[in-house]
Amino acid sequence: MVKTADIVIVGGGISGVSIGYFLLKYGAKNVVIIERDFLASGATGRCGAGIRQQWGSPLNCIMSKFSCEFFETAVDELGFDGDIEFHQGGYMMLVTTEKELAQTKKNVALQNSLGIGTKLITPSEAKALAGPLNTEGLLAATFHDRDGHLNPFTTTRAFADAFVRLGGKVYTNTSITGIRTSNGKITGVDTNRGSIATNTVVNAAGGYVQNIADMVGIELPLYSKRHNILVTEPVERVLGPMLMSFSLNFYCQQTPHGSFLMGRTCPDQPRDLRITADSRFPVAMAKTIVKVLPQLKNLRMLRQWAGLYNMSPDNHPIYDQVPGLEGFYLSAGYSGHGFMMSPATGQSMAELILGLPATLPWGQLGFSRFTEGNTIHEPSVV
Amino acid sequence: MAIDEKSHILFTKPLHQTPMIYYHSTNTDINLKGDYMRISAHPILDFERGTQVSFTFDGVQVSAYTGETIAAALYAAGYRTLANSPVRHRPRGFFCAIGNCSSCMMVVNGNANVKTCIELVQDGMIVETQRGKGTL
Repeated sequence: MVKTADIVIVGGGISGVSIGYFLLKYGAKNVVIIERDFLASGATGRCGAGIRQQWGSPLNCIMSKFSCEFFETAVDELGFDGDIEFHQGGYMMLVTTEKELAQTKKNVALQNSLGIGTKLITPSEAKALAGPLNTEGLLAATFHDRDGHLNPFTTTRAFADAFVRLGGKVYTNTSITGIRTSNGKITGVDTNRGSIATNTVVNAAGGYVQNIADMVGIELPLYSKRHNILVTEPVERVLGPMLMSFSLNFYCQQTPHGSFLMGRTCPDQPRDLRITADSRFPVAMAKTIVKVLPQLKNLRMLRQWAGLYNMSPDNHPIYDQVPGLEGFYLSAGYSGHGFMMSPATGQSMAELILGLPATLPWGQLGFSRFTEGNTIHEPSVV
Repeated sequence: MAIDEKSHILFTKPLHQTPMIYYHSTNTDINLKGDYMRISAHPILDFERGTQVSFTFDGVQVSAYTGETIAAALYAAGYRTLANSPVRHRPRGFFCAIGNCSSCMMVVNGNANVKTCIELVQDGMIVETQRGKGTL
């Protein structure tokens, strides 16, 4: 293991590998990623992996547009020899209440003004795009054809391979056991495989960011919450776009493999890092999805699992240096959309850490927004 | 592997990038058909056989007894290939026989992905070999 590093990234999920890749791309040297388990073993490998640009805040629209455009050419940009399985079949958001319709119209206008070609469509147009859809009770839908979904494992691998090719080092099965500081500055990290002297640590530990911050006695304004997801047996493709609805409380996609991956927000979820199965979830999920896609009623569920949403007070991530400890950066609090925003995360954090001019509005995503009352309102999160 | 050699290796090359090998699926019967493949007398167990029924498998008439599973009846009739693997199309035979392994999934009366090792035969059933992953 290396003895010194310019930058140590904690966490080998999609955010950590993306930050690592962009840091090296913009000229950083001696960057190391420390991962406790294996790459994508946390929230990344557990997520729904949907990619959408249909947001209600300008900031999220800009960040997600950058990210989606990155994914479109990611295989070439990253020089990946595999397939990130970007199924760009569009993303359809179903609208079933008048209140939701009013908000949706505002969102579409905003997205269009930012160059995102979302369309407000009628239930029959929705049916034409998503054959198995039951349009009963549907008022309208929005559709953006450049959205879709990815394979989170191979996407993580694509970033990690590019990171290693550019000279980065990845240590998996390696735990951070302590962070060394001196006079309010980072001086190194201790791991179960040795210590690394460094002045810069990026905390990208996803659901476990507070565990890392605890090592330097810092309380973050974030918490991790369990979210459930399930997968069915595979069948030939019948569903092109990814579907989602706030009012119906679900998202669902058919993977290139043919299986359906779906989730919904459940009540009373633990916030103590538990990722055990919730037996109530598949029942509620099945009831929901069979109303929307009646054909799925005879499809077998294969398994369920859970992962952690790292929630921030305004449902937006924090990209910043932690106040009070020089060299300690935080990239967390994605509130359930860290995977789809990961290219923007990497670009933003690299610009922040390397002191480059900002090409993305990450300046709004610092800690100061909470103390100065500049939190960002996003009406469109699950 | 580009990643640290001591690390756990998570990802392998996707299956579809490995050379495609086609195996011939052979339902050339073993000439052991019908009741010959059923145990008729056993020193300890008694077999109470149901009434005789028949169904079609890929258009061929197959006889069976009520209380048998589709896969058991097909096995007794000499069929050894029950399905094909989805990517490399290798023949799949009777494997777990308890509804777990998905090795015997067929299209039954138009419904895909029926686990024939736990589905009981009924008179007049239409059973077909499944091509691909099945359609909803």
